[in-house]
Amino acid sequence: MELMIVTGLKFQGIIKMNKRGTDKIISVYWFAILILVAGGIYAMVYLFYGHPLDVRDVEANILANKVADCLSKQGRLNSGVIISSEDVKSLGKEYENNLLGKCHLNFNTEKEYDWENEIQYYIGADFYVQVGSDKPVFSLSEGNKNWLKYCEINREGEDYRRLPRCVERRFYSLGEDNAQYLIKIISIVGKTEKNAK
Amino acid sequence: MKKKGTILAENIMFIILNLVFITILMLFLLKQGSGAIVIEQSYAKQIALLIDSGQPGMEIILNMETAKKVAEKNGIDFGEVVNVNENIVTVKITSKSGYSYSFFNDVKLDNLYPVDKDKDGIDDSYRIKISGYNKNE
Repeated sequence: MELMIVTGLKFQGIIKMNKRGTDKIISVYWFAILILVAGGIYAMVYLFYGHPLDVRDVEANILANKVADCLSKQGRLNSGVIISSEDVKSLGKEYENNLLGKCHLNFNTEKEYDWENEIQYYIGADFYVQVGSDKPVFSLSEGNKNWLKYCEINREGEDYRRLPRCVERRFYSLGEDNAQYLIKIISIVGKTEKNAK
Repeated sequence: MKKKGTILAENIMFIILNLVFITILMLFLLKQGSGAIVIEQSYAKQIALLIDSGQPGMEIILNMETAKKVAEKNGIDFGEVVNVNENIVTVKITSKSGYSYSFFNDVKLDNLYPVDKDKDGIDDSYRIKISGYNKNE
């Protein structure tokens, strides 16, 4: 019986010793977990706040709307967009030569990232007479034409984030001679450095 | 007695280190959430987009309470937080930083200034008035 108690005490002692050791190990693990949690939170915060706010889609949509308003109002082409004389139709010279001025657009940007040497916008409007036709009868455009190629591969996802953003709009409008036109507007906004990382 | 004291000191150290850790984490999150760079960027882009979608005659009142708080903390007069030079909006709420973003709408703006939108005696909003188009036709 005595032996058992001694053994029991010894056993208790061993447990106690182990428990103290375990406590220390737990506290080390605890700090390791804290560091892991902190690292995780830091990474999440960095990912969230480290990326700039991407407003290019909104900007491209506003630009497309603005050009649509500039060309047509209430379903009719604005005066001077397409001129008809003796059965010959042509684009109005003012729109053809000065689209930015007629639509009150200014493509100047801040002088950062070498943007002063590369226009950060593109706007194009194609006029189709027949539905389904792939050849426009008239075309207007202004800005950086080099970015048009990106519109064909402009898709959602991480890999495409650093490409300029494209927006395409289509609408019908009547000309002065009541001819119906399908107008396709493409607007592109670059400004990648300030909107994507 | 000595042994117990040691355990207590260890526990106190453990609790203090935990508290220090949590405090640092909270401060980091708060600092990131109210970071001047994020606020400047957000307001500069918002203002540029508002101007882009605006038309002559429009008056836009933008609540900039957050920017005002940070600007005043950094000793910047709220009346100098937003500046428009040609077609570039700059928001600056610290003496070192500042964020600029351009807008494409070729409009003339009246001078931008703070207004009291909520009628609570605090000028924490900005008035942006589009007066007309620039003559480039």
